[in-house]
Amino acid sequence: MKNLGRAIACVIAAVVASSPVATAHEIGTTRVLARFEDGRYAIEITTDASSLMEKLDSVAGSPMDATTARTDAVTMEKRLVTRDDAFRQRVTVAFDGTETRPETHYAVSPASDALSPVIATIRLTGEMPRGASHFTWSYSWTFASYALSVTNGGAAATTEWLEGGQASAPIPLTDSAPAISRTTVAWRYLLLGFTHIIPHGLDHMLFVLGLFLLSGRLRTVLAQVSAFTVAHSITLGLSIYGLISVPSAVVEPLIAVSIAYVALENLLLSELKPWRIALVFAFGLLHGLGFAGALRELGLPRAEFMTALLTFNAGVEAGQLAVIGAAFAIVGWHCRSQSWYRQRIVVPASLVIACTALYWTVERIAPEVSALGSWL
Amino acid sequence: MCTLIATTLVLSSASLLAHDMWIEPGTFSPSPGEIVAVKLRVGQDLLGDPIPRDPALINQFFVVDGEGRKPVVGRDGSDPAGFIRVAAPGLLVVGYRSNPSLVQLTPEKFNQYLAEEGLDAVAALRARRGQTGGARDLFSRCAKSLVAFDVPTNGQGDRSLGFTLELVAERNPTTMAAGEDLPVRLTYENQPLAGALVVAINRANPKEKLSARSDKDGRVHLRLPRTGMWLVKAVHMIEAPPTAGADWVSYWASLTFEIRDRTSTRSTS
Repeated sequence: MKNLGRAIACVIAAVVASSPVATAHEIGTTRVLARFEDGRYAIEITTDASSLMEKLDSVAGSPMDATTARTDAVTMEKRLVTRDDAFRQRVTVAFDGTETRPETHYAVSPASDALSPVIATIRLTGEMPRGASHFTWSYSWTFASYALSVTNGGAAATTEWLEGGQASAPIPLTDSAPAISRTTVAWRYLLLGFTHIIPHGLDHMLFVLGLFLLSGRLRTVLAQVSAFTVAHSITLGLSIYGLISVPSAVVEPLIAVSIAYVALENLLLSELKPWRIALVFAFGLLHGLGFAGALRELGLPRAEFMTALLTFNAGVEAGQLAVIGAAFAIVGWHCRSQSWYRQRIVVPASLVIACTALYWTVERIAPEVSALGSWL
Repeated sequence: MCTLIATTLVLSSASLLAHDMWIEPGTFSPSPGEIVAVKLRVGQDLLGDPIPRDPALINQFFVVDGEGRKPVVGRDGSDPAGFIRVAAPGLLVVGYRSNPSLVQLTPEKFNQYLAEEGLDAVAALRARRGQTGGARDLFSRCAKSLVAFDVPTNGQGDRSLGFTLELVAERNPTTMAAGEDLPVRLTYENQPLAGALVVAINRANPKEKLSARSDKDGRVHLRLPRTGMWLVKAVHMIEAPPTAGADWVSYWASLTFEIRDRTSTRSTS
């Protein structure tokens, strides 16, 4: 109860500080917090239990009961549940102008001492209509001013001050994830993973091409790609779950260095060395951090977190295999056994990849270099 | 002469933005040494919401007993807004004077407000001037409550606290029985206010309201038919001075007390 008092004192102070005129508002003890996430809404009303009960009794035509203020929490909770129909009549939860019927849950917590009020917490929950764009709220069980705080997805809460009975302004919901099925989530993140490589991930494409160029046999290509996949899956998962965190300012230049290294090794060596697969694994760890940064920017639906993570990773894998498949289609397996293959394909292609990657390295370390480049 | 008017409880989305405000003590009949919660309530027909203690809103918050005037103490942000300790026998007068609050009302709501509070003079003035628009009202509260420790004599009655608009019970209601006549005087800036609507509401049956217009001495006689908690209230409105940032200034006086049930020695609200 002390915490509630402190919270109310802070709220009062905030409202007074923000008031443009030298007057104060009569702010009550009611608070409303609305959360929208993964296609569902949860609205929590905290209010003085006995004053709510008195109003509900009054509307129901019951005589005013002088003992209501002294009723214990358990009895009060049971009485509130019996008045559910009456309670709903003065609460409006609407999406795009259409009222919805929430599920209700009543909880009454005992007063901390004999002089403190008993507080009721009423939770209204339900699914948002598909494609809902705006939410409107009104609550007519209080005469005093109260705060409606809205949390949409992972965004910070916004607060609107309302008078009892006043309808809120339509609150946009466009930032929240709409209600979507697991199949839709899986398909969406598979595509996002794939397009993160083709066409958006030129750096990752060049890295995979670098692996392809020096591998004489299909088995060695697949071994390297598999090592790369296992590694980036590990860091992608760990990073998304928040177990590791490396700034993108560090990750992105190192990814460029890894591409340059693979290309330079292709130029300097004519055949694969045993350490290559270990290096590819290490670079995979690095690229996984990069994928995690991209995935974090895209956002993960909380309800389908694992589905989205796995399908994004699968999409990345499909993108890499598509790059290798395209390279095989262009160069052809037969060419790889020709004497001119190294001179005409591996060296020039690796040179281009190395130069590009070195440029990216500088660009990612010093953004002003790219600014200078565009100015020139 | 007071009249009985029956109303239906209005607790709708079309509720006014300025409501009654009153003091509701934890008990009107405390025991010696008892700490009594002083709750502030805003609402309608004695259905109220708690107003926690707000230093920005409080202009004066005190209690007057036989020993003098003492502040009502409390923690900021808390409901109940304050506490008093009842030490000396007699009638305690709790007073709460708020700072002004500004409310902007639509034409419909402002006209409804004037009609409900019996502010006919303001409505007539607006009509003469052809004012049909909404209005900014700077309202403030002048609330009192009578708490009796022991059974005080009639001489230990209510007293004036010097509020801008004030209801003063001219007889000690705690010594009254149901059905007896309670004279109440309404003053504005310590002068009798004539022609104002004074309304009395009982907690057990808030739908039945007693109402009367104050006479030239600012007095109304209310025959209170029931025991239990009573709220007597009146509103006075004047034109706002040019610097007020409002069109009208209103004062909301309230007085709460209890008429005891003679069949029991002690009761609570």
